[in-house]
Amino acid sequence: MATDTPPHPTPDPDNTDRLRSFARYSGIGIQMLATIGLSTWAGYWLDGHYQTKTPWFTLGLMLLGLFAALYNVIRSVTKGS
Amino acid sequence: MKRLLLALFCLLSFSVYANEPTATTAEATDKEEFSPGEMILHHIGDSHEWHWFSTDNSHFTTYLPVIAFRPGQGLSVFSSRNLAEGKVYDGFKLEHEHLVSEDGSKVYDFSITKNVASLMLSAILLVAVFTAVARGYAKRGSGAPRGIQSFFEPIIVFIRDEVAKKSIGPKYERYMPYLLTVFFFIWFNNLMGLLPGSANLTGNISVTLTLALLTLLITLFSSNKNYWHHIFATPGVPKALLPIMIPVEVIGIIVKPFSLMVRLFANITAGHIVTLSFISLIFIFRNLGVAPVSLAFGLFINTLELMVAILQAYIFTLLTAMYIGGAVEEHHDADFQMGGGDGAEPAHAHGH
Repeated sequence: MATDTPPHPTPDPDNTDRLRSFARYSGIGIQMLATIGLSTWAGYWLDGHYQTKTPWFTLGLMLLGLFAALYNVIRSVTKGS
Repeated sequence: MKRLLLALFCLLSFSVYANEPTATTAEATDKEEFSPGEMILHHIGDSHEWHWFSTDNSHFTTYLPVIAFRPGQGLSVFSSRNLAEGKVYDGFKLEHEHLVSEDGSKVYDFSITKNVASLMLSAILLVAVFTAVARGYAKRGSGAPRGIQSFFEPIIVFIRDEVAKKSIGPKYERYMPYLLTVFFFIWFNNLMGLLPGSANLTGNISVTLTLALLTLLITLFSSNKNYWHHIFATPGVPKALLPIMIPVEVIGIIVKPFSLMVRLFANITAGHIVTLSFISLIFIFRNLGVAPVSLAFGLFINTLELMVAILQAYIFTLLTAMYIGGAVEEHHDADFQMGGGDGAEPAHAHGH
């Protein structure tokens, strides 16, 4: 590890931690949105491709996306503790 | 800072209410054709020529080279001046800034468009700035930094200590070049995008896609056994649930860089659209009362964009570091506070 670096003034730890949490949690939010959006879009595309009468792909992948989004949010929030 | 922004916002909102009546009367007398949507989309999009500005009777445009490849007909290189204003040249024409051939055959467009030209300019700028910084270290070693070096040193140290060390842990050094490059690339290009007449590079989804793809590849190639074990055999999950859990985990891998791509693209594009919308109000209302208000709002948003420029670069770098950190994480590495929970201490306390 870098033990040979010269000492330097570190930024206010409280402030950078707040910025860090902000970036992290906003990332989790967008990830949740992207998960549901992407999987719904994939399902919609598959339904169009296979000309299904009932949109099973849209339904199924949307629910899977919802589950994946929630699972990932819960996991990334509990990971730190 | 927050209080200042709030005060500014209140001040600006007041002037809007005061000017509302004049604005509505101006709307009724407006006759001229002006399409703000078209103007804004033209401004945030890519194009084959670099349009600087227009006066009443002339345009100031730099024509960039068009490089196109058609299977069977070979490569054609010519100036985009030949295609200006819907002209047809050598069987090519522009349809909404999209290069197509007249007979409908396939065209591979390798043109140096406005965004590509801007990318080259920013690459030259970045190389020039950072070779100057590196020269400073070569000359002075670990002595006190001077000139441009002293401006960039705290930022580089911040990325190393607050982003890389806290998110990646002991193996952070290998990823520093990428993290610093991506941070300064996004920051510089965000700022360059705010200059009048410049290209909207980081607000282009192809550029952010490439950056996100690089992050994905680096994450995948630096991942260890532990990372894949968590994906294909998540601990604590019954075997029967694995068919559901594996797709969920795989979605997670793809969605992380995807969210990086969308965030940067959306933030920068939204900033440009809002600024341009406020400027457009002047041309929509053609009223002296509106001009100062929309100009003030435009200036306010533009100033806010200066902060967004560095914030988005920071967020992209931090999340990239966190994703890499998740991939290189050892099994029980609690000492290094992986993922950087609240109040995470610097990983190398003994180094200071």
